[in-house]
Amino acid sequence: MKKERIDALVYKYNGGIASPQELAEIESLLEDGLLEINALQDVQALDAQLGSGTRPSPTSRLDKNFYAMLRKESRRKQSFSWKLFFAWPEVAPKLAFGSATLILGLAIGFYFRPVTKDRDQIQLLSQQVNDLKEIIMLTLLEKESATDRLKAVSLSQEMKQASQHVTSALLKTLNEDDNVNVRLAALDALRQYAFDSQVRAELVRSISRQDSPLVQVALAELMTALQEKSSVKELERILHNERTPSDVKNKIKKSIDVLT
Amino acid sequence: MKLPPLKPSYPDLESISDNTLMLKVKDGDLDKLGLLFERYKKPLYGFFYGLNKNGEISEDLVQNVFYRILKYRYLFRGEGDFRTWMFHIARNVNHDHYRKNKMQGKDSLENWQDRLSTHENRSTEMQQDEAMQLLNMAMARLPMDVREVLLLSKFQELKYKEIGTLLGCSEGAVKVKVFRALRDLKEVYLHLEKNS
Repeated sequence: MKKERIDALVYKYNGGIASPQELAEIESLLEDGLLEINALQDVQALDAQLGSGTRPSPTSRLDKNFYAMLRKESRRKQSFSWKLFFAWPEVAPKLAFGSATLILGLAIGFYFRPVTKDRDQIQLLSQQVNDLKEIIMLTLLEKESATDRLKAVSLSQEMKQASQHVTSALLKTLNEDDNVNVRLAALDALRQYAFDSQVRAELVRSISRQDSPLVQVALAELMTALQEKSSVKELERILHNERTPSDVKNKIKKSIDVLT
Repeated sequence: MKLPPLKPSYPDLESISDNTLMLKVKDGDLDKLGLLFERYKKPLYGFFYGLNKNGEISEDLVQNVFYRILKYRYLFRGEGDFRTWMFHIARNVNHDHYRKNKMQGKDSLENWQDRLSTHENRSTEMQQDEAMQLLNMAMARLPMDVREVLLLSKFQELKYKEIGTLLGCSEGAVKVKVFRALRDLKEVYLHLEKNS
């Protein structure tokens, strides 16, 4: 709207000759911020007069009542109340904090969880190391040097789980190795696999194949410890062998007595 | 000549201070409400007194406003202006009071006018001259909602925008309401003047 039109409307209004339609126009101008109330003389004067009056003041009764209420409220706040503790406005932030912490904890836990893929890889790697130890052991057992073969036997003791290849190789060493120490070491290594019935049977069969008194005595002691009654026949065979030394015979006899 | 609608009596810094105080009250430092009470007891009293012309009731209503502020302190978020929030409560307190009295059959227009005339006759504080007395009487004859707009804009010196927030309308609509209220006041005033 043109400024002239606004001025004309204000002029008419101030002159008290504005029509209802023009009043509506003035209101529209006020609403749109194109005209200020101060421009309209009569209402401006009234407005100023309203502001000039003395402002009423409350009495001291209001102060007294207010501070009494405040003291009462402060005392009530100091005394713990379960009702207030569980009041929704009080409990809502606690609940929100608790939930947020829980969600954060779960998120962190999920992020740092042990990944199955990694676990599988570690298991595979461990298996590969075991297989490698097995190969080394089997290779060392084939060596001519007794020290190497002893190393091979001790290597088998380091393995967490030995395969059938390992136990077979140890039994073969027990039965066929030239060196008594190696055979004794093999017997010692086989002790941990004695829970296997197949290994136990092979150990029993091995008794009659031994010609070393030390190995014979060690086997007899192992049979006693395992309470392997099926070994009695094999032990008796050594007992009746003329070539068996008398000390060994005594030892074997004692073992047979325990087993029977 | 373009003039600002009304000069704010509370600078922004003080408004921030109000919010800070109220946030402290919200956090349990209830003594800070005393500072807000000292700051606003008179404006609030003036608002209620302008509406009902009864000093005792006005004091009770001011007390009720601060009681509600205390009770509903957890609802204050500190995002808006404290004064606007406070006057919002004040309006609710006033409406509840009049609704209650209306139900009890009290405070009819006649009773209200009787109280006004007797009170105004003995009051020296509000009546400094005859014109002012007439103006107060004219104000008293205006409907409650019309009086309320004038009280908020003139006596409480709230900005039109703040009044708009309180009344749930635009700033422009508040200007029109104030204009109409002043015109109504003028009409009643002239009528009283003619009959006096």
